[in-house]
Amino acid sequence: MKNVRIVMVGDVDAGKSTILGRLLVDLGLVTPAKLEELETSSSKRGVPIEYSFLLDAFQLERDQAITLDLTRIWVRTPDAEFVFVDAPGHRELIRNLLSGASEVDAAVMVVAADEGITQQTRRQALFLRWFGFANVLVAINKLDLADDSRAVYEARAAEVRSFLDQLGMQARAIVPVAARRGDGIVKPGPLTAWWQGPTLIEALGTLERVQVREDGPLRFVVQDVYRREGKRLIAGRVESGILERGEHLTFWPLQTGARVVAIHDWPDEIENAVTGSSIAIELDARVFVDRGAVGSRAIDAPELGHVAQTTVVWLGVDPVRAGEPLRMRLGAREISVTLQRIEESIDPDTLEPREAQELRSGDVGVVSLVSRELIAADTNLPESSIGRFVLVRNGAIVAGGQIDAVVGHNRGEGATNVVAMTSSVERIERTTRNGHAGGVFWLTGLPSAGKSTVAMAVQRMLFERGRQVYVLDGDTLRTSLNVDLGFSDEDRSENVRRTAAVAGVFADAGFIVICALISPFSADRELARAAYPNGFHEIYVSCDLVTAEGRDVKGHYGRARRGELAHFTGVSSPYEIPNNPELVVDTASHRIEESAAQLLEYVEAHLVK
Amino acid sequence: MSRLDYLDELEARTIFILREAFSCVSPLAMLWSIGKDSTALLWMVRKAFLGEVPFPVVLLDTGMEFEEVYAFRDRLVAQWELPVANELCPPESTVDQTLPPAARHAARKTAGLRALIAREGYRGILLGIRRDEQAIRAKERIFSPRNADGSWDPRSQPPELWDYYAYDVPDGAHVRIHPLLHWTELDIWRYTLREQIPYVSLYLAQDGKRYRSLGESNITFPIASNADTLEKIIAELEVTREPERAGRAMDSESEDAFERLRTTGYM
Repeated sequence: MKNVRIVMVGDVDAGKSTILGRLLVDLGLVTPAKLEELETSSSKRGVPIEYSFLLDAFQLERDQAITLDLTRIWVRTPDAEFVFVDAPGHRELIRNLLSGASEVDAAVMVVAADEGITQQTRRQALFLRWFGFANVLVAINKLDLADDSRAVYEARAAEVRSFLDQLGMQARAIVPVAARRGDGIVKPGPLTAWWQGPTLIEALGTLERVQVREDGPLRFVVQDVYRREGKRLIAGRVESGILERGEHLTFWPLQTGARVVAIHDWPDEIENAVTGSSIAIELDARVFVDRGAVGSRAIDAPELGHVAQTTVVWLGVDPVRAGEPLRMRLGAREISVTLQRIEESIDPDTLEPREAQELRSGDVGVVSLVSRELIAADTNLPESSIGRFVLVRNGAIVAGGQIDAVVGHNRGEGATNVVAMTSSVERIERTTRNGHAGGVFWLTGLPSAGKSTVAMAVQRMLFERGRQVYVLDGDTLRTSLNVDLGFSDEDRSENVRRTAAVAGVFADAGFIVICALISPFSADRELARAAYPNGFHEIYVSCDLVTAEGRDVKGHYGRARRGELAHFTGVSSPYEIPNNPELVVDTASHRIEESAAQLLEYVEAHLVK
Repeated sequence: MSRLDYLDELEARTIFILREAFSCVSPLAMLWSIGKDSTALLWMVRKAFLGEVPFPVVLLDTGMEFEEVYAFRDRLVAQWELPVANELCPPESTVDQTLPPAARHAARKTAGLRALIAREGYRGILLGIRRDEQAIRAKERIFSPRNADGSWDPRSQPPELWDYYAYDVPDGAHVRIHPLLHWTELDIWRYTLREQIPYVSLYLAQDGKRYRSLGESNITFPIASNADTLEKIIAELEVTREPERAGRAMDSESEDAFERLRTTGYM
């Protein structure tokens, strides 16, 4: 049996709840006791039997005969189960209507015969188009108020057709009804005797549940990472495509990758997970993956960029203007964005775009949003949650939107939003702007232990996450700032001192500074800590001498062994292993991606936000 | 390999909601009334978190549950190794005396829940209510923010677009999370049968009567039924017009009884 979810739209008082109430009664789904109760509460309010009370359960709704909030009713016929979402028609209750429309397969639009298409109906139809509905089922209601029901129906039907046409939408059917009397709902009545088309229930029977495509590109949206018995289980939902055990996944936007070694559908393990499945996977390497990451095959990746061009419906009580910082929730990720520009807003009366300085509650607008963080999004994949988003202001959802395009990957143009700095900027202000405080992450270890490689990999990933980050590399600094220094113990100490001082300045300016320096002496490292005492992290990049010497990336070990290099750490100069480092990264027994993931996780966990 | 069927879809969405709740709301607890709905939910919690139940599971205990309910709880707690807590509800004399008698009994649970949240500082409470149970519950959101006193303001519910939920609440307030809102009574029984989830035997007919909905023993009444297996219950529900909570006295004492209970914090 099919199950179809349908939203009811139409202006306030067009009779949406009455149609549904009547449907329940005429299909014989209401017990005699319930009908009696309905008569009692109707007569208590001095009205003839009010079918909408079957849905409008709140006292205030019954007293004022209006719907305040979404409700759902279940209607079972021999061939189908319908879930109707009855949405209020009031302008100020648009958030409720949109909430309802976001979860359904089809829409029924109710137009009152005496009013026709009102401004509110126009606005609602605009939302339906925005949600991607190509067609609607229309009911022309209240024909009992017309002298000539057929003539009025035909005039309204023509009006509806031309209006939908203007929107690029179609009517599946335009059904005449008089809900109060029941004509045209489940069976024809005197007022619809001339009608050759379907009754409302017959027309509803032609609606189908939206089926997800299974041949779409793979999208696995990560919700969380759980640890169970030493295993790392990445939990999330397959939103498009099919995930197969054994395949290689790339996680966006950081572009880390690993092979799927197990798919858990507790208590079972499965070979593949189809669209819609909530599952957990295990990977063959400990690469960095966190909430909000999106797994795909490398060949059909989502789009990447720092600027999203979007169409939004604004729901906030207060309007929004360009320049406002907001939070964006896209898939399972939440990031900071700035509303860069309102390109246009759509006039609900003319349906024409117009220039706008602000968007008010209920307005549909085209806006661009910029972020320091790299955004991974889908622009043409309706089933993927990274194609639609909400905006959050002070913790409350204030807009819904769809992503039309993503641009500006390489340059991140517009994302920097630089404002001229004055000396009166306080640390907390920098922290607020950056989303994090500064800090010094000091990587120490033998030559060729992998310090610079890990530092560079982590810098890239932090940068993609919108962090302010910079690497101070020992070798690089020796070509500029420290060009006058040699490798005597004194010069090594001075090298560390200068680097630590620069790192402290950068950290003070709000940067995450990753220092990659052999820094062989404990005492020097302690002095480095003193240069930025409240945010210094000593990280030992551990690698045994044999392995490091085996790598010998720069050929220095060879030269030192041949006696061509004096004071070479590990060969002709000592290295003091840290006694109590904040973190040990073991590059001898882990791949570079895994070490980078370990450091990235550490940095993210220790950033003051 | 085949696409998800209807029950699979319902289950996958519930697991998604549970994981969202666990990631975004902390500290979290779940109410387990030991009825069919919250027991099915508990089964899906184990699925979502791969066999674990990573938050406390609380019974709001009025001391008036059926004996079979207490026995079933003890058995399942042992079998599933549940982190369970029993919250004794304050006596009836402490609740709003203007409520009708049966609703006063129900209001004890509201008071117990308020005390639990105040003491433990929970910001999220998971509950197994469904929209098709009752017309007021039909208006609920999946993530439903509550004021500091636990009250519900149904006139200003947040938007709930696609799968984006409102999980931010001010300090002292909390959010009710309803992962079963989109299920129906029939769905729950079909799923319970398919997954072989244990249930309290009072749901099965004995001597021509069975309980369709389980509440406190003093305010819950059985319905006439010969359905003594799950298959028969499902067949019965496929044709019935009677509402599920017909045997719950608290719902129908006065027209506004359930609305009053819910707006002041009932489940």
